[in-house]
Parts: sequence; structure tokens; C-alpha cells
Amino acid sequence: MMRTVEVVIVIVIITGAFIASSYYAVLPWPRQVSPMNLRRLSLTTMQMLDSNHDLSRAAFDTGNSVLWNNLQISLSASLPPNVIYNLTVYDVNSAPDGSTVYLPKTSISNAENLGVTSDASSDLVASSNVTFNVIPQKIGEHNGNGGITLYILNCSDANGWWITGYNAQSLAQDLYNLLSPYFVRTIMVQNTAQLEQILNGASLQGENVQNAVVINTCGEAVPIPSGYYASPGVGYDSSHLSYAPYAYTLGQRVLQYNWTWVSIVGWPLYYVSNTALFSSTQNSWGIYGMNMVASAGLNAFLQGIDNQTYSYGSSTTGSPGVVTLSNKASGSSNYYGIYPSPYQTSTRALSTSILSTYHLNVTTYVFDPVNNWIPGAIYRHSVTTNGVASYQGGFYALGLTRTPDIRLTALGLLSDFKPRIYSADYTSYDNSRLVVLHLGLVGGA
Amino acid sequence: MGGVSVDHIVALIVFVSAIMLFVGFFGQTIQTGIIYQQNQAVATKCSDLLDSILLNPGSPNNWGQENSTLSSFGIQDPEFTQYQLSAFSLMRLGSTGNLAEFDKTSQSIYYNSLTLGLGSFLLTPNAQAVNYSTVLSLLGINGTYGFQLSLTPDISVSITENQASSPLILGISATGTGFPLAYATVSYCFVQVTLPSTDAQYPSYTIQNGTVTTDQTGAANVQFPSVTNPNQVYSFIAYAHSNGIVGVGYHAKASNSDQYIVPILQDFASQNVALAHNYDLNNSNPATLTLKYNATFVILKQDYTLSELSLSSPGDTGVNGTVTSGYNNPFPSISLPEYSTGILIVTYQQQDNLNQGGVVMMPWGVGSLAVPITFGGNPAKQQWVATDLRQVMINNVAYQAKLSLWSTQGMQVKS
Repeated sequence: MMRTVEVVIVIVIITGAFIASSYYAVLPWPRQVSPMNLRRLSLTTMQMLDSNHDLSRAAFDTGNSVLWNNLQISLSASLPPNVIYNLTVYDVNSAPDGSTVYLPKTSISNAENLGVTSDASSDLVASSNVTFNVIPQKIGEHNGNGGITLYILNCSDANGWWITGYNAQSLAQDLYNLLSPYFVRTIMVQNTAQLEQILNGASLQGENVQNAVVINTCGEAVPIPSGYYASPGVGYDSSHLSYAPYAYTLGQRVLQYNWTWVSIVGWPLYYVSNTALFSSTQNSWGIYGMNMVASAGLNAFLQGIDNQTYSYGSSTTGSPGVVTLSNKASGSSNYYGIYPSPYQTSTRALSTSILSTYHLNVTTYVFDPVNNWIPGAIYRHSVTTNGVASYQGGFYALGLTRTPDIRLTALGLLSDFKPRIYSADYTSYDNSRLVVLHLGLVGGA
Repeated sequence: MGGVSVDHIVALIVFVSAIMLFVGFFGQTIQTGIIYQQNQAVATKCSDLLDSILLNPGSPNNWGQENSTLSSFGIQDPEFTQYQLSAFSLMRLGSTGNLAEFDKTSQSIYYNSLTLGLGSFLLTPNAQAVNYSTVLSLLGINGTYGFQLSLTPDISVSITENQASSPLILGISATGTGFPLAYATVSYCFVQVTLPSTDAQYPSYTIQNGTVTTDQTGAANVQFPSVTNPNQVYSFIAYAHSNGIVGVGYHAKASNSDQYIVPILQDFASQNVALAHNYDLNNSNPATLTLKYNATFVILKQDYTLSELSLSSPGDTGVNGTVTSGYNNPFPSISLPEYSTGILIVTYQQQDNLNQGGVVMMPWGVGSLAVPITFGGNPAKQQWVATDLRQVMINNVAYQAKLSLWSTQGMQVKS
């Protein structure tokens, strides 16, 4: 009997232990087990309310009852019915000892307290006296090749043609201002000697020559280095007394270095220019320092980019008249904030036949094609290596009439490369206010 | 001696029984605690996963505008920071809704149908859709968790026709998830369709823009005295906005609901949209019936008015033509802008009965007409589902993103 009594005593002890442990081992409520992340909900709600800067405006106009009524309606409408809130605006000031002091300015709420569970987020809003910054993505920066270099031909020893009203140097500066934020390196090629250097594949300032974009600001003329690149067989065709082979060599360099060659206006490569080399030669229109290659230049360039054998011949362009920006370019216009006229006059549009003849694909139409004419587009040369198709070498031709609008040049390149614009850090030069949105849950636990 | 033995036996039996009973009691408490802990882990995972999905654009980051294979999943708009989502990426998500078959050139080509009722369609190619199992793998939760992501507009804008003509009176009601959107500005676009009386002409339309303000119940009325025909074909789009919260609603009226045009996105990369006769969907009706159409793409400007964008040759804003039902009969297709979100508006007219026609719209980007999105598995029969919420923006339209997450490994504890 004694043993049974002892067992009963043991059972009483264990029962006591169980009751005691059950009393202290309180299981959480289901809402605590699976809580809604009120802190993130609060933050995203404030971001939404401030998407048009309405929250910032209200935070700095606390006496405007209409503004605050609307804010309260928007807050109530956007939150789930079981979420209650308290939104408080604090003025941010500095105390004499340098510490930051937060003084409440105003508050709105739809409940006396914040229920069984609550959490808060804060957002520092700035007054309208702020500056906004955008950070453009650098073209090619993430492709593992060190980014793409932009060369702007700013050759002091070359003249331009069909850039009436401008000179190549002023256009170069404008292009630099427009495009340099989007490139890892932007280099002004100051003379034909430097042009010769990059044609030889040598960098000017340690930049990446491969995959570069080269913008010729001389219009229908192209700078030609004296010496090797103007020599017979390389830059000069003795039998036709023409510098068309220079255009062919340029085409080959574009292919070799995977460049994108940009012609900003008119008939590409119609003249070659070097003020020293052609000091006594004029382009038949009275401009010295320039030699007319005529339509053979474009023909030779396209042969070069397609790695065909050079043969002297002519090229054609069309005059479709008034042309319209493509949808893609219009979209980029808004995105990059570059607004040229959507209607332009084209008198030197390239033929669609060059696409098949020289294995070119249009990656971006800057202007809508008209019949068989392409007023402005970026062409990429298609190559197939070991059965894998890719692009090698590019050509951007704007076959518009003079005077050039370099915004179109910039717009076309940005449309094709599509660098992103990251916005928008801002710096406040006036006082800031802290907005705290405290959310709580009501209803059953 | 016998009494002592009985005492021992009884004591032993009682003791063992009591121990087993208490082991059960304690075990149950411990089991409940462990299950709670596992549920809390699911809730934490749910919050993390929701941020992971909403705060990265995926890779490639413009996968909503390509047919490429994803290497990581996310739906943030690559142009923006924070909780702004890509309207295009969301269109590529495999729908949990119906599939539609377009029997025009070959059979068994299916499209995800996010049809929003008569007058608005969003059909996307099922073959190019990103499906649930792929996303599970990309998120690294395949075999461990299941989820459902739903994106619901914060503001529901409903439109009703209160009077058909002289004047046409439309009622607008804007309601949030928790409260009416009172005293909000409603910017509207009224698309009034003209059905020509000759075969040679195509249907056309004019757009009237205006604004009204909702009352304290979130309601407003708008009148159009120019509408004197009770059978007037029109569509009406309303944008209710207040303090950064924007909601979209629409209403369309056709004189004929039997034959109509259905825009079908055929390719994400080329943005190619086929204009299909509805008889060619699911091989539903007879061939050789023709509709004349006029297609226009409009974008929403900052002041909430619609602006037309060219779809074809320079100077043109609309594209005209005919579409005839029946296998192998030609069907027109148009290309939409690669980057601009907006609305494709197609007015149509029956060729054999010029009094019959209508207008349909296709949102280009889910935010354009505030299309709700549901993607993923079904949480209905799961043992424990954790949910979390975020406020997000899609094309400046306010949405609530809700993620429901559950464990697929079970919650049982072996005792």
C-alpha cells in the first residue's frame, strides 16, 4: 500500500509541475505567430502617398485643412479595413548643443489607440526647395569589357560640310555635353594625328578602343590623316584619282574594332578633309582643305564594313521629304528629355537595298522608313562565327538635310544603347520634416 | 508477502500509466510550440520573399519585353527604385485564369486570358508565359514552399450608365480597400465612336476629356449632352486620383455584342498584336464574317488626358482594315510601342450590317486599365498560410501586393 501512496504522491508532484509549466509556457496568439509586417506596409504606404510629392506638400503645409482632409481620405482608402493608423509630422531642428530635436507639428488618426499589434515607419520628406539628381547608366559598363568609349571627332585641322551655321568644334562640344554622362570615357579627338592613332588601335588616354562609338562632327566630310591613311592603296585610288579607299579603310576599322560610326547629316563620307593635306584643293564649292570623294565614299565604306573586296563604284541616296520620328525614338525622347522636332526633312536617305547587299540589320529606326528609303537608322553588321550569329561593326546614318540637329544624333544613340537613368537622390537646402506613420491592427487576436 | 507484491504491481501500473499520460501532455504542448515556431518561420519567409520579389527586376531586367529565359525572378520596374513594378513583366506571368485558343493558322495555340469583361481584353501567349514552377525554382523554394502573389488595385472605380441619351449620364464610384475615395478628382476620357454609313469608310472616334470631383461617398456623375442616340457606341475611362493614389475604371457600350474584335498579343519581344475576330477564338462560330476596324494607340499624359501615338506610317495615328473569321483567312496585326504603356483602342463595325459595331480596349501594361493579377498556387487547402502586404505602384496606379505563402513540407511533429 505504501508504494501506491508514493506513486500517488509522485503523480501529484508531476501534475503540479505540468500545471506550473503550462501556466508559464504561454503560446503566442496566431496573429503574433504570423504577423503582418506593419512596418513595411507603413513605409510603402508613405512612399505611395508621396509618389507625387503630395505627402511632402502636406507636411510643409500643416495648416491647410483641405490638404490634410484629402490626405486622411487617401490614407483610409488605401489601407485594409482592419488597419488603423496615426500619422504624425515632426519638424526637424537643431538644438543649441548640436543634437537633433523633433517637434510634433500635426497628427491625424482614425482611432484612439493602435490596437493589439502595432508598428511604425518614418520617412524624411524635404521641402520643395530641393535639387534632384539623376544618375545615368554608363553604356556597356556591365558587359565585362570595361565600358564603351565615345570618340567625338573634334579635329582642328579638318573642315566640315553641310554643318552650315556651326563648326565641327561647337557641335563636338554640344555632343560632349549631351552624351558624355552616358559613356565611361568620352574623348575629343583633337586632330587628324590623334584620329590616326585610334585608327591604328592605340588608345589616346588609356581608354578602351574596342567597341567604341565614333561621331564624325564634320557632316558630309570626314577628317583624313595625312601619311599612311592618305597613301595609295590605303586611302587613295590612283586609277580613279579618288580618296574612296580611305572610306573603305574606315569601314574595315569599324568592323575590326566593332565601332559604331556616326554620320550626323547628309550623304556620309562625301568629302575628305585635312587642311594641311588639301591646302590648295577645294571641294568644288570653294571650301579649301577638302576633297570631294562623292558617292564612292559611302559605297567603299559599306564594302569595308562587310569585308568585301574594294571596288570603285557609286552609291545612291533618296529624298523622301518630310519624315517622322519612329515610336522608339519618340519614347526615348521622353525618357532622356531630348526633344528635337518629330518632323524633319530627309534628302539623303539610304536605300533599303544596302541591308542585304552589305549584311546589315537595322537595330534602331530613328525615323520611320518611307518606301525603300531609310531616313535615319542604326545599322549593325551581321557576322556568323562557328554557326553563332552576332554583330560586328555598326553605322548610324542620319540622311537629313542641313543644318544638323545634334540632338537627333544623341537621341538615336541613346535609343539604340538604351542606358537607364536612375533617379532621384535629392539634397535639401531647407528644413526637412519627419513623417511617422504608425499602423495598428484591430479585430480578433 | 502477497500483499506487498500486489502493492508493487498496482503502484507500477499506476506509475507507468501516469508517466505515459504526462509524456502525452508535455508532448502535445511541445508539438504546439514547435508548430507555432514553424508557422512563424513561414511568416518571416513570406515577408522576406515578398520584398525579394518586389524589390528586384529579375534577370534580364527587361524580361517582360523579351522572350528570353529568366535567370532570376523579380517584378520591380528596372527604371525605378523602391516598390514600383514593371507593367510588362507582370503581363508575362502565367495566368491562373482561362486559356483561349486562337484557331487561325494552326490549332492548339493558347493564350492566357485576362479578359476583364466585354470591352477590354488582355490575351498573352501562353508559350511565352513564365509559369509557377519556374518561378518557384528561381526563388529557391521549389519543394519547400508554395505561394500565391496577387496584385489588386487600391482603388476600385466602377462606372454605370444611368441614362442612355439626351444626355448620356454615367455614374462613377471610387472606393478604396477600406474607405470611399471622397472628394477625389476624377479625370475621364470619353471615346465616342462614329459608325460610318458606307462600306468604304472605317469606324472612327473622338475623345472628350474632362474632370469631376467625387462627393463624400466617392460618387460622381458626368453628362454628355452630345449623345442623343440611345444606341451610341462609346467607351469611357476614368482615373480617380488623390494624394498619389490613382485608380482606373472603364465602361464600354457596343451596339452588337455577338461579333467583336479581340486584340491578342502574339509576341512579347516584337510587341506584335493580332486583331482577331471573336469567332476565331476557341473555334466558336462560323467563318467568312467580316468586321471593319480602326486601331489607335493612346498613352496617358501627366494631366490624365489621352494622347494618340502613331502606329503605322508617318502622320497616321490609326490603322484601318478588315478582319474576316475563319481558318486561314488573313488577320491583321500591329506592333505596339516597345516602352510606352498605354491603351490600344479598336473600333469595329460589322460589314454586313453597318448599324452594328463597338469598341474594345487592350491595356498595354497592366496598370493602364488597372488589371488585377493573380499568380501562383492555390492557398485554399493549405494547412497554414502566412500573408503579407505592401503598397506598390504600377504605371502610377496604386496596387496592394499580397503574398500568401505556405510550407509544402508539412507541419506535423512526430512524437
